[in-house]
Amino acid sequence: MKHFPTSLPWAIATTAAFALVSPPLTAQTPSPAPAPGEQLPVLRHVLDNGMTFLILPRRQAPTVSLVVHYPVGSVNEHLGNTGIAHVLEHMLFKGSREIGTTDPVLEAPLLAAADAAHDSLLTELARPHPDTTRARRLTDAVASFEDQAEVYAVPNEYDRILSAAGARGLNATTSLEATRYFVQLPANRLELWFALESDRMRNPVLRGFHTELDVVREERRLRLETSPGGIIQTALLATAFQVHPYGVPVIGHAADLEYMSRRQVAEYFRDYYGARNAVAAVVGDVDADQVVEWAEEYFGAVPEGRPAPPVLAREPEQAGERRITVEFDAEPRLMIAWRAVSGLHEDAPALQMLGSLLTAGRSTRLYRRLVAEDQSAIHVSAHLGPGFSHPGLFIVNAVPKAPHTTHELELSIYQELDDIRASAPEPDALDRIKNQIRAGEFRRLSSNLELGMQIAESEAVFGDWRETFRLSRRILEVTPEDVRRVAVKYLDVRNRTVATMVTKGGSQ
Amino acid sequence: MNRGYAAGASRASRSSRLPAHRGSSGWFGTIATVNSWLRIAGAAAALLAPTLPAPATGQESVRDRIASLEVPELRFTPVKPREETVRGVPVYYLPNHELPLVTFYAVFKGGVANLPRDYLAAASAMPNLLRGGGTASLPPDSVDVRIESLALAMSFGQGGGSASSWVNFLAEHLDEAVPLWAEMLRRPRFDSARVEVWRGTELERVRRRGDDPASLAYSRFNRIMYGDHPVGWELDASELEPGDVAEEKLRHVHEALFCPGNMVLGVAGDVAWDRAEALLEEALSGWAACSGNLQEYPVPDIRREPGVFVIHKPIEQSVVIAAHTSSVRQGDTPAYFASRIGNSILGASGLSSRLNTEVRTREGLAYGASSIWTTPRRSDGLVGAVTRTGARSTLAAARLLLEVLGSMRDAPPTAEEVSRVVDEAVNGFVFNFGTPLQVVARSMTYRTLDLPADWLERYLEGIRRVTPGGVHEVFRGELDPARMTILLVGDTTRFDGSPSELGTVTILEEEPPPPGSSPPRESPRSPG
Repeated sequence: MKHFPTSLPWAIATTAAFALVSPPLTAQTPSPAPAPGEQLPVLRHVLDNGMTFLILPRRQAPTVSLVVHYPVGSVNEHLGNTGIAHVLEHMLFKGSREIGTTDPVLEAPLLAAADAAHDSLLTELARPHPDTTRARRLTDAVASFEDQAEVYAVPNEYDRILSAAGARGLNATTSLEATRYFVQLPANRLELWFALESDRMRNPVLRGFHTELDVVREERRLRLETSPGGIIQTALLATAFQVHPYGVPVIGHAADLEYMSRRQVAEYFRDYYGARNAVAAVVGDVDADQVVEWAEEYFGAVPEGRPAPPVLAREPEQAGERRITVEFDAEPRLMIAWRAVSGLHEDAPALQMLGSLLTAGRSTRLYRRLVAEDQSAIHVSAHLGPGFSHPGLFIVNAVPKAPHTTHELELSIYQELDDIRASAPEPDALDRIKNQIRAGEFRRLSSNLELGMQIAESEAVFGDWRETFRLSRRILEVTPEDVRRVAVKYLDVRNRTVATMVTKGGSQ
Repeated sequence: MNRGYAAGASRASRSSRLPAHRGSSGWFGTIATVNSWLRIAGAAAALLAPTLPAPATGQESVRDRIASLEVPELRFTPVKPREETVRGVPVYYLPNHELPLVTFYAVFKGGVANLPRDYLAAASAMPNLLRGGGTASLPPDSVDVRIESLALAMSFGQGGGSASSWVNFLAEHLDEAVPLWAEMLRRPRFDSARVEVWRGTELERVRRRGDDPASLAYSRFNRIMYGDHPVGWELDASELEPGDVAEEKLRHVHEALFCPGNMVLGVAGDVAWDRAEALLEEALSGWAACSGNLQEYPVPDIRREPGVFVIHKPIEQSVVIAAHTSSVRQGDTPAYFASRIGNSILGASGLSSRLNTEVRTREGLAYGASSIWTTPRRSDGLVGAVTRTGARSTLAAARLLLEVLGSMRDAPPTAEEVSRVVDEAVNGFVFNFGTPLQVVARSMTYRTLDLPADWLERYLEGIRRVTPGGVHEVFRGELDPARMTILLVGDTTRFDGSPSELGTVTILEEEPPPPGSSPPRESPRSPG
């Protein structure tokens, strides 16, 4: 989720770093040539502390897109600290020892005192019978110290400095499996980014902590508690995953946010947001040698940190269909999910193809059946999710059109899936999807920022920035029989979880 | 506080948001000192090391480093599109051959706002039916298959005053993609089954309008402010009868809007001009002239009385909107440029704006807060603010919005605030040229809005001349928090006070009243 609400300028950019030729759109004979993205002249440079820089000069407009990707997300959390990666994402915009304050020397002991008071508060609240008077006194003490510290705060100074330099799209996102920070700058301001980003990696100060937790709680209300889509998805994942952290929303449990401490978040940062987990992408009008020089100079002293907490949880085999109904002040919705595989699994491309065949376009099976012919739905979509690296779900999302019910939609969806299980889909339908993937191989290169995100993530996950481009090619090899096979293998009633939203006080 | 301006209201107690104070109220007033607390905390303080910044031994001051950075001059010549004319239609063209992708783009002057309300459904349906309703020569299913086979990316859209469409494709499909796109725009079939799908979908969207509280709030606020004017129209189920999207009505709208006389075209990407021109010649050849059925954009009679409107909705987070009219018009005037800089300082410049700094960063009341300041060219607009906050802080957030708005009227912004937002625009000037399509689309927009071709340069020159005094002057003339119309959408049973603290209250139902009715027809009631 984004750190604050702005819209990213996903402009369709084209640049002069390379000239590429379109491969023929003949799905039956996939080209053995590398994907266009694999041919990008990316320079990979690894610092002694393990931080990796991917540098891609593209010289059209004099701008540069900058991404720092950490393979640390909510999947690495556990009960008690859920939401911590996302809270940290917010807190890294609070500045550093120098940025964001008028007097770090006077501010630091006040923040330390607030932390000490908060630790004592949590200790008191953990007692079987907390002393409410003492708890309130401790609460007041935390607030008092934070108020005193705020006297020295310069709100949003990090943002102000970059904005005044002409920055665009300064933001960050936290997902199930990663946290990433990004910004675009005029090319002549590149060294400013090196100075600021390395400073917050070395000396972050998580000031204004409890106020920012309030902001996170508001974000939770926005995305999860007042959004029908957020509510039903949360219910679906929590029902389908009873062990694996995919079942916990990225933003965390409300109770964990309630008791999270600044010290806890700072320790999390120190441990897992070090150089060895960081992959930076620098894409735009840059001199690669200069970037390497600045990378060494500014980031060379960033502590290494530790590998992200391993995710060892394995979801037990599902023993039968699970159903969950949520009531909300909104019209009905439906989500159906089957236990499936990770994005790395050999069956993942066929499941992705299945999702596309069902809903990626107006000529697809479920769109035609539900939206165009039966007119029982106003929306239907299917995908493999919710993450990538761990065994996930094949998810169908549908919104009924009154007077049709979620029950009717469910039956129609099962009928269409039965058809695919019975007979492989037409090759023409696969070819249309493959043609879109081939065109997408060029479209995904258009934006410097989006490209930076792709190669940084690929490097962080696979240790190879090219792998992201190879992955999409796997779908080009999927056959109609592959699709039928995975439908039979995974879309079984015993693997299924169904979430239904019903209107509060209504009938469905 | 480091406020560089006067915003004098007292701040909420942070302690009320900490765990031990959940469900309680009041401030216990124990003002601790660092030393006393560290003595009390004892061993706990020893655990603090990770949260404290390590002494920066050997580290150069980052402030010193930033101050000493050299900012090399950007070697940059802004690109301009070629302006051509094909069969009387202006075409902006900017080639780029780095990727084998091409975009053709069309903008049409005129929209829903230029048609009588009787045509609201037909006009609203137009983007969907141009995309999905088939063409004279191809039924809808064939068009869908063709689009997916050629891997075309397409968009059809419509605002109040204009409509637009683009198609993006691999260069090798140029000769197939452009004629198909042109036929979709020019000779729509309006297949009756697809019309019915649109109508049914739209009826369902009307039913679901309340699902998203923000959409509900914006829609109702526009209706409150603009009444029976296109900006205030909310499509109602009674306007979605089959006759409302009868073919004759669809044709009437299409012939009035989607015609060469209203059209501005753009071409960007991997295509030579002679090929693009030949395709456009063919597309435009014989395209009937505009029917002339568009009416002048009606001048809105915007609500000017202050008031508070409340919609009860049992949800966790409220929507708060406050605004009143503004007479600033888009144009090459000092007031306009001052309004743009003032708007950025107030709430349009991300985290650092006053609204985000106060509502989000200092008070933690919202995930975000932003300003509204619309500046139509030929009529009044709105100035105000919007945010979303927990049900129990609805009134506090509303009061803070008004306070921050008032701070812009009461004193000039600081020189630092003005220079920051001007620098953001000036130093970020290069981002206006990120892609050829961006450059082409900007020229098309200026042409459609009758702005001068060098409007971007004039804009930058205009904002460079803005002073804190100029911003203050425009806010003093245009902004008065006491005149605000305020809309609160949320769980009134959990509000932190009575909406009547903000003004005279009118309760609205979530379901809108019938089309054509204006706010005064809605009976004022107490919030209960």
